[in-house]
Amino acid sequence: MDWPAVGAAAAAGLPATAPVAVTLANRVIACSSAARSAGVRRGLRRREAAARCPQLHVVTADSDRDARFFEGVIAAVDDLVPRAEVLRPGLLVLPVRGAARFFGSEQQAAERLTDAVAAAGAECQVGIADQLSTAVFAARAGRVVEPGEDARFLAALSIRQLATEPSLSGSGRDDLADLLWRMGIRTIGQFAALPRTDVASRFGADAVSAHRFARGEPERGPSGHEPPVELDAVLHCDPPIDRVDAAAFAGRSLASTLHQTLMAAGVGCTRLAVHAVTANGEELTRVWRCAEPLTEDATADRVRWQLDGWLNTRTVADRPTTPVTLLRLQAVEVVSAGALQLPLWGGLGEEDRMRARRALVRVQGLLGPEAVQVPVLSGGRGPAERITLTPLGDEPLPRADPCLPWPGQLPEPSPTVLLDDPVELLDAQGNSIRVTSRGLFSADPARLTSRGRDERLRWWAGPWPVDERWWDPDRSAGRTARAQVLLESERAMLLCYRQRRWYLEGIYE
Amino acid sequence: MTAILASDQPHHNRAEQLKQLRRQMAAVSGKVGSGRLSHIQSHAHSHPGPDDLLPDSETKLPIPQLLADVLPDALPRGTVAVLSGARSLPLSMVAAVTAAGGNAAIVGQPDIGLLAAVEMGADLSRLAVIPDPGSDPVEVAAVLMDGMDLVVLALGGRSVPLTRARAVVARAHHKGCTLLVTDGDWQGAAIRLKARVCGYETTAGTPGFGRISKVRLDVCAGGRAIGRVRTG
Repeated sequence: MDWPAVGAAAAAGLPATAPVAVTLANRVIACSSAARSAGVRRGLRRREAAARCPQLHVVTADSDRDARFFEGVIAAVDDLVPRAEVLRPGLLVLPVRGAARFFGSEQQAAERLTDAVAAAGAECQVGIADQLSTAVFAARAGRVVEPGEDARFLAALSIRQLATEPSLSGSGRDDLADLLWRMGIRTIGQFAALPRTDVASRFGADAVSAHRFARGEPERGPSGHEPPVELDAVLHCDPPIDRVDAAAFAGRSLASTLHQTLMAAGVGCTRLAVHAVTANGEELTRVWRCAEPLTEDATADRVRWQLDGWLNTRTVADRPTTPVTLLRLQAVEVVSAGALQLPLWGGLGEEDRMRARRALVRVQGLLGPEAVQVPVLSGGRGPAERITLTPLGDEPLPRADPCLPWPGQLPEPSPTVLLDDPVELLDAQGNSIRVTSRGLFSADPARLTSRGRDERLRWWAGPWPVDERWWDPDRSAGRTARAQVLLESERAMLLCYRQRRWYLEGIYE
Repeated sequence: MTAILASDQPHHNRAEQLKQLRRQMAAVSGKVGSGRLSHIQSHAHSHPGPDDLLPDSETKLPIPQLLADVLPDALPRGTVAVLSGARSLPLSMVAAVTAAGGNAAIVGQPDIGLLAAVEMGADLSRLAVIPDPGSDPVEVAAVLMDGMDLVVLALGGRSVPLTRARAVVARAHHKGCTLLVTDGDWQGAAIRLKARVCGYETTAGTPGFGRISKVRLDVCAGGRAIGRVRTG
């Protein structure tokens, strides 16, 4: 509360023990402790204050000066506990949890903070409480409020205190405190005892937040998080880019700018967004994903390929109508630099793997990131589910673990063509065949109708029931089974029965 | 005095210097195009012949057992082959190349059964598929030739005209990448392979029992590079 006076004393080169008063509109708004002991109070007129304490140094309020001298205190606190938030010059708030754990206890942390601020040339008081507003009042009393004791601590305070801290309240708080006083409510505890609905209906929104504070209810605390850094690089292209070689130069300079930013932040980019704005205001965006963090060259390559893709699209409708005037690179997803170490042997160092990857990434630039798919062996019973395709650059994660036993898996060989066409499996009389609840054909299959062609079977085997995902309402309609059939025309097929229909799942050829 | 000595020295062993430079040039030209895949081990021909400068693994692509009889000279790198018929043929070639440590890509065959390739021994980490290559699959294949040892290109029934084909063939030859064209025609292809299923083996002959255990293929090769060969 005294910070304007402390700041003014420091600005005037006076010792901290000198009586100082800060005035605004001819009223004292802050005074030093020496002045207070001589009888100077807030709200006194200037002349009155000078009469009570003749050697009083009176200065006018200057919020810039307050902030300027507070900077040293912030730096001192920041050295000890990072990411303090400033409520106003003279009042800092920080989350105590980490500091208490680091220094051993809340008291110890408070002592260390007091020492640090004293070393910066100011005196301070520390208060600790569950809620931010309570902590401010605890700091005035220099107290540590036990967990859960917020409301009890506040209850004894005068209702006038509601309005003393301008950084915590809205503009009408003075009137509210005055009104409550006149209504006979003298302490914050009495105010807290009023029902919430009555407060809301009679005194308005600000009173409700004051009421929440009085009850010690949870409110927005200090976050203690590092604000996310803006990881992007912008290039205004002058002259506008309409050729790929110009794009290559732009990409290189932009990539180096972005990588300086990334390096300063100590992160690597694994997902890069390339934005381009043309002279007509068209906006083009594409996101590139990579499993490994991008190097500067790789970023430059992607920008070039992307612009190549945009500027030289074969279909004229997709091509931007005017040259590109603004390029922006944005690191959408980053990983910490610890994950960036390249392996010493093998792995990434393999020359031809890298070369193949570059070619594939170029195709991604032409067709889009989802176009290039990398297969990985996956768990499952049917031939289609045993291969998972993931876009190049993503972590190749199988949909199911291939190392599990998977009883009922189809043995080798697998069909070389995978389809999903509905077909009709018929018996000799032309009735369609079902799989019974005992896992058998309802009759011996004799004919298969697929794509309008009706053919006789020479051999068949199955059905092999698949008992999986019975808990899934979408899949559990009826039973699932597979069968192999060999047509008269020397074609072997894999059929799958599900949801009371036969589907052609694969062809052996 | 010193100047004379210095000019005298090179003159003295110029012949030796020339010889050394020639040796260096030979070494450099031998390295061109051979940087890639030096570690591929071709099982059948692992030792170079006396008249060959490069080992077989760098001029020829590993081929599956299926083709060993049809193509006695193996498949040279940088050629274009048209495949037709059964899908096992391109898959077995992909399997052979990736198993030997080469990289392969399959362009435009969304319905291909990659599990069958795995059963033939393919290394999936060296394989990429581009199921939908857009309106111009040949362009995509040409880009992929930069880094791949084998590109399987499905043309969707189209035919590539000779002028376009020539440019792509030159690129394939330069990059040492073999292009397999399926489901379409490629004019001027050096090798044409046709695979036909000639029978299935089942573990039990009677209907209702057993399962399919083997697919028998009949591969027949033709084209400029080879005479007509047939095998069962």
